[in-house]
Amino acid sequence: MNGYRLGVDIGGTFTDFALFDEEGRSLHIHKCLTTPEDPSRAVIEGAVALLERESMNIDDLREVVHGTTLVTNAVIERKGARTGMLITEGFRDIPDMREEKRYDVFDLRITFPEPIVPRARRREVSERMRFDGTAERSPDLEAARVAVQEMVREEGIEALAICLLHAYSNPAHEEALRRMVEASFPELFVSSSAEVFPGWREFERFTTTCINAYAGPMFGRYLERIEHGLAALGFRGRLYVMSASGGTLTPPLARRLPVRVIESGPAAGARMSAVHGRALDLPNLLSFDMGGTTAKGALVREGAAMKVYALEVARTHEFKAGSGLPVRTPVIDMIEIGAGGGSIAEPDARGTIRVGPKSAGASPGPACYGQGGTQATLSDANLVLGYLDPDYFLGGDMRLDRSRAEEAIAERVAKPLGLGLERAAFGIHDMASEDVARAFRIHASERGFDYRASSMVAFGGSGPVHATRVARKLGIPRVIFPVAAGVMSAIGLLASPLAFEVALTRERFVDDLDDAQFAATFAEVERDAKAPLLAAGLHPSGITVVRRLDMHYHGQGHEIEVALPEPAFGVDGLAHLFRRRYEDLYAFAPLDAPLVVNTWKVEARAPDPGIGAHYSVGGRWSGAAAAPKGARRAWFPDLGGWVATPVYDRYALAAGNAVAGPALIEERESTVVVGPGDRVEVDSNGNLVADLEAGVHPARDADCAGDDRRSSGPGGDRAGDSSHEDIREGGP
Amino acid sequence: MSRPLASPAPLDAVSVGILWDRLVTIADEIVSALVRTSFSTIVSESYDLTVAVLDGDGELMAQGTYSLPVFMGTAPETLRHMLERFPAETLRPGDVVITNDPWHGTGHMFDVNVMRPVFRGEHIVAYVISITHLPDVGGLGFGAAGAEIYHEGLRLPICKLFEAGRRNDLLVEIVRTNVRAPDEVIGDLMANVTATAMGERMLLDFLSEHALPDFRGLSTEIRTRSERAMRERLDAMRPGTYRNRVDIEGPDGAIALAVRIEVSEGRLHADFGGTGACVRRGINVPFCYTRAMTLYTVKCLTVPELPNNGGMSAPISAVAPPGCLLNAEPPSPTGARHMIGHYVAPLVFGALAEAAPDRVQADCGMMNLLTVQGRHRNGRAISTIYFAAGGFGALRGHDGAETLPGPSNMAVVPVEVWETLTGTTIEHKRLLADSGGAGAARGGLGQEVVIRNDTGHPLTVLCMANRTEFVAQGLAGGRAGTPREHRINGRPVDPRGRLELAPGDRIALIEAGGGGYGDPRDRDPERVRRDVANGFVSPDAARREYGLEP
Repeated sequence: MNGYRLGVDIGGTFTDFALFDEEGRSLHIHKCLTTPEDPSRAVIEGAVALLERESMNIDDLREVVHGTTLVTNAVIERKGARTGMLITEGFRDIPDMREEKRYDVFDLRITFPEPIVPRARRREVSERMRFDGTAERSPDLEAARVAVQEMVREEGIEALAICLLHAYSNPAHEEALRRMVEASFPELFVSSSAEVFPGWREFERFTTTCINAYAGPMFGRYLERIEHGLAALGFRGRLYVMSASGGTLTPPLARRLPVRVIESGPAAGARMSAVHGRALDLPNLLSFDMGGTTAKGALVREGAAMKVYALEVARTHEFKAGSGLPVRTPVIDMIEIGAGGGSIAEPDARGTIRVGPKSAGASPGPACYGQGGTQATLSDANLVLGYLDPDYFLGGDMRLDRSRAEEAIAERVAKPLGLGLERAAFGIHDMASEDVARAFRIHASERGFDYRASSMVAFGGSGPVHATRVARKLGIPRVIFPVAAGVMSAIGLLASPLAFEVALTRERFVDDLDDAQFAATFAEVERDAKAPLLAAGLHPSGITVVRRLDMHYHGQGHEIEVALPEPAFGVDGLAHLFRRRYEDLYAFAPLDAPLVVNTWKVEARAPDPGIGAHYSVGGRWSGAAAAPKGARRAWFPDLGGWVATPVYDRYALAAGNAVAGPALIEERESTVVVGPGDRVEVDSNGNLVADLEAGVHPARDADCAGDDRRSSGPGGDRAGDSSHEDIREGGP
Repeated sequence: MSRPLASPAPLDAVSVGILWDRLVTIADEIVSALVRTSFSTIVSESYDLTVAVLDGDGELMAQGTYSLPVFMGTAPETLRHMLERFPAETLRPGDVVITNDPWHGTGHMFDVNVMRPVFRGEHIVAYVISITHLPDVGGLGFGAAGAEIYHEGLRLPICKLFEAGRRNDLLVEIVRTNVRAPDEVIGDLMANVTATAMGERMLLDFLSEHALPDFRGLSTEIRTRSERAMRERLDAMRPGTYRNRVDIEGPDGAIALAVRIEVSEGRLHADFGGTGACVRRGINVPFCYTRAMTLYTVKCLTVPELPNNGGMSAPISAVAPPGCLLNAEPPSPTGARHMIGHYVAPLVFGALAEAAPDRVQADCGMMNLLTVQGRHRNGRAISTIYFAAGGFGALRGHDGAETLPGPSNMAVVPVEVWETLTGTTIEHKRLLADSGGAGAARGGLGQEVVIRNDTGHPLTVLCMANRTEFVAQGLAGGRAGTPREHRINGRPVDPRGRLELAPGDRIALIEAGGGGYGDPRDRDPERVRRDVANGFVSPDAARREYGLEP
């Protein structure tokens, strides 16, 4: 198909653009500063600049896919609408009572985020739906109208969340209230819980609904500005909005369900990892994104990023699960780790190094930024180790101060712990890598995912610096450094299809189900999942439908998701399907306990947009031969310490070129650290593919590294082998 | 307590940090496998399990990060008992030793301890112990109903479930014959066996990967550093001898729990002398549990962030007179030992209120567990636990959270899930204004839950409520929280009884508030006003307790 497609991703600092020419199969990228006061301004201005740069006619722009952190930020910074809540009588305090569970049993001073809707803006409604969907008491609509009236007049609410018990089982009461509110208060943005997420567990569903209502008015106005801005440029194509599930939404749907847009940026990155994996025939992957303050991970199984229906926002302890507000919506299952370039390294109570989760942020930033930071950070360590070039940070736009980095590490880490400077710097580097590896290990083992048989896709500013080391710790043999990794999320937007997913809780014993009921329930969910795609003009034959069920043994606490193989699948096969999945996950003989179907899920998806495997990235390639652009000292403990290491310009490497470690491959946004024994090849798309030599272990230096502390380490009289302080000249 | 430590091994701060974290990760990986494979809902929902990794000398090196307080430091003692029965030199690769003896394990028979020695060649280099709460162990079932240990089900002495890789089928048959849910129980036993095997593989890989002959040097480093950190924090406490005594509800009237704590020179010793005698209900606490709760409480006060291991617990010691409620002896029943054992935390906090004023916590309203048995409207049998939390105790400058359990932890079953599982109806679930103790920092609010029996069948409710007479006390001038109470159709009922709920009956659970910290008159008036606006504090109470005209 002819034409252009544009992906625009708003990040904290930069707004990234990726323009794909479908005819020429080329990708053009652009970055401009984010405009926090009105993020739509950077979107429009950046688009204009890119179109001009590429001398492109707006008429040829077929699609714009947009990813934004706006909704996440609104919840974290509490900048959403004044929101009221209608809630089943007797249950007004559910948002304050939460799960009645501590997320850390040793920390007595734990705190929780304030509920999105304060208690004073919650009104009870006399009504009751039973668990089986039968009504015990109809809603008192007139009393509810008066309550809403009061909240509009006295509290000035702009949005309303309607949250009734068992609405997933029968939404009739919520719908009756909604009709009343829409008729009497047309200016209110209204969300009802069964519409936002028809799954059980009231605290989670209600919280999700409140967040949706809270974000609705602001997000609607924002989308309008984008639409008007694009229309003013003469754009006549389609606009899509990225969701956290790895698919896109139409603007009307995004306006109605802004909660689905939370964390969509990282989802686009993980989605892109999956696309690269499919192109390279690597179906099982770890997607590893490390930036300035955090690292993010996701698992890709059989070509698709693993998904889940839970995420948390606004955590009071950034990296402690359970300390935030739960959101129930389909999302790519991300791990977040408090380790990034700005993470602060310091001695901990154990007398070892801790890296993060405290971060020096962008201001003052790492000591090497020279903006007044005195704390030692991960970037300082990577600079001292020679992995980063002080003169080529952000392509030379920013100069790093090596002496400040050395001073910070010496004062804050090396001296207090009795370590040499390089050893301390390497310790910081290695501890951050270990933290990432640990998070992947736990995340994977909780999900029955064998990381050792997988590959890794690494991106983000710090990801390529740490990737081979993390991979070696995990026993992963191959790491992909995708081309244009600095705008990975923006490219990921272009690889994400229009999709919508609905999950409905209807708890049923398998024994009590017949094929007709089974099919009817799925048909109901499927209708809701397909509706927005049909409304967007898709032909029914172009829609792919995936059906899944959450099931469990009666009495068991955790549900297991099974995917149904074909549309005609009936009740008879459920037990077998469940058992097979159970054994896959646990390698463990299951029981004869009764089986229960709990949640019915349908994902409707448009065809994958054709960014495909083969395209070129325009504008930056010199296509020169694979000669190093220079060399600098870098610290590799496996080789005994300082090594004069060749440095390559990534944009000078051509397809088929190979580089043996140790080596450093630089691009504007990051540096790939190629360790001793690693071998990197450039594939036909310009991706770097690193093969990690088997048998060279990452942590060997951790054991022997005590040696270079002979003078000051504990038990310092141990005999060592050759000195680690030698600088070997010439490299490999 | 643990043996004196050898001189530190030549590992520097970097190596120790990396290798230490890897060992904890190994324990955590085994925990996540156990959580996924366990049938017991208390395991999957409440992490009522742990995994411990011990070195070849039986010293605790690492433990799963997420485990309940009750498992602190029990594994080395369990292993010691096991090695007395089966000396290390008689163990062979593939042996798996188990016990659920309350005095050798973790205080009640529901917890099974599963141990596997890890061989490298001829030598044992480590031991892996996993502990999970089983779905059933026979006897009277989960609760305090037993009058002696024999009522509480199957007590397995220290025995081998596997011998050189061969399963002891007779033992499996004995278990199968004695429990209510045999498939689940055997399933959970085998999940533990698989988990320890996984641990064995990971530990051996760890040694190969890092070219270490065994764990000795690393274990010593880990424990030395942990012990040093604990001693430094204990040193920061005001030294002295501190006492506390609390009264709690017993089956036949009040029982006293008492403690005398000595803090000096980086050590802490707790003596529970003065505590009342054991009772003929299953709430007696074997000493292993008392010690675990002591370690937990001291860790909260000192190094909450430190991974758990034998070094951390080395400077802490505890004793209790044999036969007292906190050092029960056979044949005292112990099924619901947590009912009393949880009080060790407030007992110790109260004692150390002046030694560590910035760290101690006022009393919690604690949690309420009710066993509900009967028949669903759809005819299926129900036997399940309802859980509701009281308010959390305040700390200096820090309000206690509403409806948050302490010192143990659980998650509430959501209203929608509960109603679906049981066919009962929860009429309301509300915070109770003014239930949290007033203070410069306010105690957390309790709640009221009313459950109506809509099943069409009678329901049996087994209760073991605490804080009904002896409420959560405040600290440093903070006021007490309100008491817990159970009512049926509006009438107060025995909070520790076996109740019948006829169709249509309503049971009200009134949950206790947490204690406050500091003089209420010192509370920031703005916070009082916000509490009044939210309805957490009534205008009356604002006037009465805080001297504030709202």
